[in-house]
Order: sequence, then C-alpha cells, then structure tokens
Amino acid sequence: MSIILVGLNHKTAPVEVRERLAFTDESCAETLQTLVDGELISEGLIVSTCNRVEVLAATRGVSGDEGTARISSFLSETRRVPRQFFGEHLYTHADEEAVRHVFRVASSLDSMVVGEPQVLGQVRRAYSNAVTAGTAGRILHRLVHHALHVAKRVRAETGIAASAVSISFTAVELGRKIFGTLKGTTVLVIGAGEMAELAAQHLAGAGASRILVTNRTTETAEQLAQKIKGTALDFSSLPAHLAEADIVICSTAADEYVVTPEMAREALAARQRRPAFFIDISVPRNVDPAVGELDNLFVFDVDDLEAVVASNIREREREAERAELIVESEVMQFQQALRSLDLGPTVAALRQKLEEIARAELKRQRTRLGELTPEQERAVEALLMSTVNKISHPIISRLRRSHDTGEEEDLKAWRNTFGLEE
Amino acid sequence: MNYLLLAALAAYVNAAVHAILAFAYKRRSVERVAMVSLGVGFALHTAAFLRDWIQDGRYPLFGLRETLSFLAWTLVVAYGLAHFRYQIKALGTFLMPLVAFLVTATLLVRTSSDARAGTVAEGAAGWVFPIHTTLLIFSYAAFFVVFAASAMYLWQERELKLKTFSALFHRLPSLTTVDDIGSTAAGIGFTLLSLGIVTGAILSSQQTGRIWHNDPKEVFALITWLLYLTMIHYRIQWRGRKSALVGVAGFGLVIFTFLGTRLMGGYHVFG
Repeated sequence: MSIILVGLNHKTAPVEVRERLAFTDESCAETLQTLVDGELISEGLIVSTCNRVEVLAATRGVSGDEGTARISSFLSETRRVPRQFFGEHLYTHADEEAVRHVFRVASSLDSMVVGEPQVLGQVRRAYSNAVTAGTAGRILHRLVHHALHVAKRVRAETGIAASAVSISFTAVELGRKIFGTLKGTTVLVIGAGEMAELAAQHLAGAGASRILVTNRTTETAEQLAQKIKGTALDFSSLPAHLAEADIVICSTAADEYVVTPEMAREALAARQRRPAFFIDISVPRNVDPAVGELDNLFVFDVDDLEAVVASNIREREREAERAELIVESEVMQFQQALRSLDLGPTVAALRQKLEEIARAELKRQRTRLGELTPEQERAVEALLMSTVNKISHPIISRLRRSHDTGEEEDLKAWRNTFGLEE
Repeated sequence: MNYLLLAALAAYVNAAVHAILAFAYKRRSVERVAMVSLGVGFALHTAAFLRDWIQDGRYPLFGLRETLSFLAWTLVVAYGLAHFRYQIKALGTFLMPLVAFLVTATLLVRTSSDARAGTVAEGAAGWVFPIHTTLLIFSYAAFFVVFAASAMYLWQERELKLKTFSALFHRLPSLTTVDDIGSTAAGIGFTLLSLGIVTGAILSSQQTGRIWHNDPKEVFALITWLLYLTMIHYRIQWRGRKSALVGVAGFGLVIFTFLGTRLMGGYHVFG
C-alpha cells in the first residue's frame, strides 16, 4: 500500500498547460472511476483549481513508479493531451512526501499567495467529488480529514492568514485597527476611481453602515452611489460632510489638493476629535500631506498602503516557517497512524508469535520423544505448523474483515490479546 | 512562611508565563491556562487576605507589605473587569507579570508595621481608615489600567503615523478600544481618588483636628487629583494622543505619591 501524488501547479507549469489539464466537478467524478481500477489503484482524488491540477491516489502494494506512470497516462488519456505536452511540468510525490504535500496544499503553504483561504474549500470540494464518485476509501478519508485538521491548526496557531495582502483589504484592516469595528462607521468616497469603488465595497462588506459619494460631476457621483448603495452628495458640500466621515477614500483626477489641512482641522473639531482615517489613492495626491500631521487623523496614500501590503507578505512568509513545523509534526503523526492501518505487519507478527510458541514447546518436549528419524522429525514439525495455521486462519480472516470495515476497536483488541506492536 | 500567598504567587507566575507565551504564539489553549492560573492565584490570594483579617483581627491593609499585596489583588480585579467588558487579552500580558512581581515583593518585605497598625484604626472614627486605604488602592489600580491603555494607544498611534508596523501592533486592541478603556478607567480612578481624599480628610480631622498636614503624600495626591481632573475636563479637546500622554505621566505621579513620598517622611509614613 502506498500513497502517490502526481500533479503540476503554478510554480511548475504555465497557465497554457494548467488550463488544458483542468477538471470540472463533473469530469472529476466520471474520470475518477476509470482511474480507480481496484487492482493497481484502490482510491483516487483530483484537486483541480486555477493554480494546480493534482491527482492523489492510494495504490495496492505496487512500487511508486508503476502508479506514477499509470496516473500520467490517465491524465493524458482523459484530458486528450499528449504526454510530452505536460510531462516536464509534472512532479510526483510518494508516501511521506505525498502526505506532506497534501498537508501543505490544504494549509495554503503551497499557494501563490501564501495563506489565501480558498484552497481549503477547493480541497474539500475535491474530496466530496471523490466521495460522490465512490473513489475515496479508508486511506484518503483519513488523509483528507487529517489535512483539514492541519489546515485548521495552521490557521489558528500562526499568522499566515492574519494580515491583508491587497490594498483594499489593507484599508479594511487599518480601519478595524483604528475603529475596532467598522459597524456603524460612515465612509465618504471622493471621486470615482475603480480602486475607490473596490475599497468602498470592501468597507461596506466589513460593516460600514453609511456610504457617501461625491464627485465634481454630479452624474458620475450618482452612478457610483447607485452601484455601491450609497448616497450622492453635491461636490460643493464636501467641507460640510467631511466631519461626518470616519473613513474618507479619495480618488479623483484633480491635480491639486482636494482636502486641505484647514478643512481637515475644522472637520476634526466638528466631530469632537474622534479619529478619522483618510485613504488617498489618487495620483497625484488629493489629500495635502500636512493633513496627516494632525492628531487623531491618519492619512495613507497609495505608496503607504503598498508598503503595508509588502510588509504583510513578508510577515506571512515568516509565519509560514512556523506553519512548516506544524505540518512536519503532523506528517509524523499521520505516518504513524497509517502504519497501524496497514495490516501486513500485524498478520506477519501474529503468525510469527504463534510459530515461536510452537517451536519453543517442541524444544522443551523434544527429549521425551527420543530418537526420531529425519522423516518423523519433519512430520512433527509439519504437524505443529499446520496446527498453528489452522488456529491463526480464522483470526486472520476476522482481522481482515475488521480492517476492511474500519473497525479499529476490534483490531486493537486482537492486537492486545496477542501482545502485538501496532 | 506564608504558604497560602506563596501558592498564590506560584499560580500568578504560571499565569504570567503563559500570558506571555499566548501573546507571542497566539495559542488559545495557552491563553486558557493563563486565565485559569490567574483565577486560581486570585482565589488563593483572597483566601490569604481573609485569613490575615481573621487571624490579626484587623483589616489587613497597613504598611508597605500589606499594601503591595492588596495592590496586586486589586490589579487582578481591575483586569477581570476590563477583560469582562472589552475581551482584551493583550492587557494581561503586561499585567500578570506585574502582579507576580508585586506578590514577590510582598513576600520579601519584612513586617514592621503591626505595632502602629492599631493606633490609627482604633482612634476616633477608626472605621473610616480601611475605607480610606481601600479606595485609594483601587484608584491606583484604575490609574494603572489608564497607564496601560495609554501606552498601548501611544504605541499604535506612533506606528500608524510612521506607517511601519511591528509584530506587537497586530496583537493590540484597536485605538478606539484603548481610548475608551483609558477614559472609562480614568473616570473610575478619579472618583475613587476623590473619595479616598475626602475620607482621609474626615479621618484626620476626627483624630488630629486638622484636615491637612502638608505631608508630601497629601501634596502629591492633590497634584495627581488636579492632573486627572484636567484630563477629564479636556476629555474631548484632548481625545487621543494628548489624553494618552497625560495617562502615562499621571501614572508616574501616582507611583511617586505611592512610593516616592515615603522617602520624604511625614504624617503618612507607617511601614
């Protein structure tokens, strides 16, 4: 029994190759049944996302090479792509390596953006496709459940997904850092840039309750307001409304400062010096840098936000190192659990144990038998061994049955009865 | 040997170590250990306090040793309240080591105040004395919370202005939260301090006929009171950074009033 993983991802293959090999949910179910023949390959699962196509399989007592060859020809046949088209981009992992890879993928350590949360859902979907197709068995059940557990641990115990790695999420995160919660905050959008729209939507999604939109051209403001469920304001009323806004997103094409220190100072006084957060994503800048020097007012321009994103990515990478340690210890645990799943050693150990007992008894009583001819000697030996086999046979078939149906308790009971190691 | 207090100290040290680990590694299980240890420590500490009260037959808050112990106890109470209200964990990381330190100091300081303990408490209006001291110690704990919240505010405000964030930044509660904690605690601390000063004046007028002794502790308490009064008065105009600066400076004054004035002698030196 062994676990094999064959696949390619964003690091090894360009998108032209990945898209040719990608599977839809439906094609997964269909093709999985052709992959899992019950002889060479006993279980199978396909993870197919925009960044990776991977086939995970459990094989029956064959060497890794045979299984790997089988899977890559499976890919070539079902996707109707010649082997040489993707062969050089493939990676293969067997047993411990494969387990590690699956854990790393589920924990988002192998993702393009480390820590991104989607991959976990994609692994879950791959698993449920395999369950539907009936190609997930004892080993893949265990492996996927363990992978989900690892992903959960990594999320809870490291900060790989803790900080934002896009400009609009960084804005949300900074807003939370200043206001605690965004619920009940008012957002004012000045201008109508795409980035401003995106940021406003993220802020609304995070709980901002009121969105005001203003623009030099009233129609544009009204259009955007409609789109993001906000209220359009007349541009001339900007100074008056500045005080209402907890978060101001500035993104106009103006080449002068739209928000001056005087305006900001008045707004702060009017809002009883409650903190305000200005996001200036326009180039050239629309918020006078001097505004940022006021107490309780925090101004971030595009460069500032990008620097935060860059440092968050570095932080994720540092956290990823800690996540690797978690993965490593979980791989060890899984391998140990897997060994106990493998019945072969238990059967061998049981036979050996009984044979040892028989031989020891023979040795103890041998002198009483007196001189024996070599023929008689062999007959005694055969008698003992056939007795051992007759006794162990029903036990072993019972073990096999328990093993196939996954009755762990039963297996454990038999192991304990004969004092066998797991 | 005070075994009960020693056991409390062990629990507090355990809590402090786990609080720091939880802060650094964000493990929820470690955090739980810290909270449970703190609870156990607090229970033992309370038991030690009650035992002293029953054994000595007087309210055990007199002299440096008992005051340090009581201060540690009130800090745990203050933390419990802040945690209950704001669910902030970061505060514990700074507070639990301080509690452990105060209890250690308690165990190290020699007892030398017993002889005089009776004289104040048994004089005229002696019953006011425990109220006076308890109110003031609780006000110190509240001012410590103001200090911790202000320090967290200033740290984050600075990083937001400089736009460079340390690992600490992500583990602290939001600006609005710490500002809120600071102003709430300042209000509570100020009220307690005012009541403490008033009860002190009543006690003193009953026992010596004077409400003011020009004692360093009294002078600095009055300065502290004026500072926090100003802070609360300008709560809106000073919201944010200025308030936080006063919160930090004010606590320096509190520490000096509490410990520094001992060195200057006067009516209030007992232990």
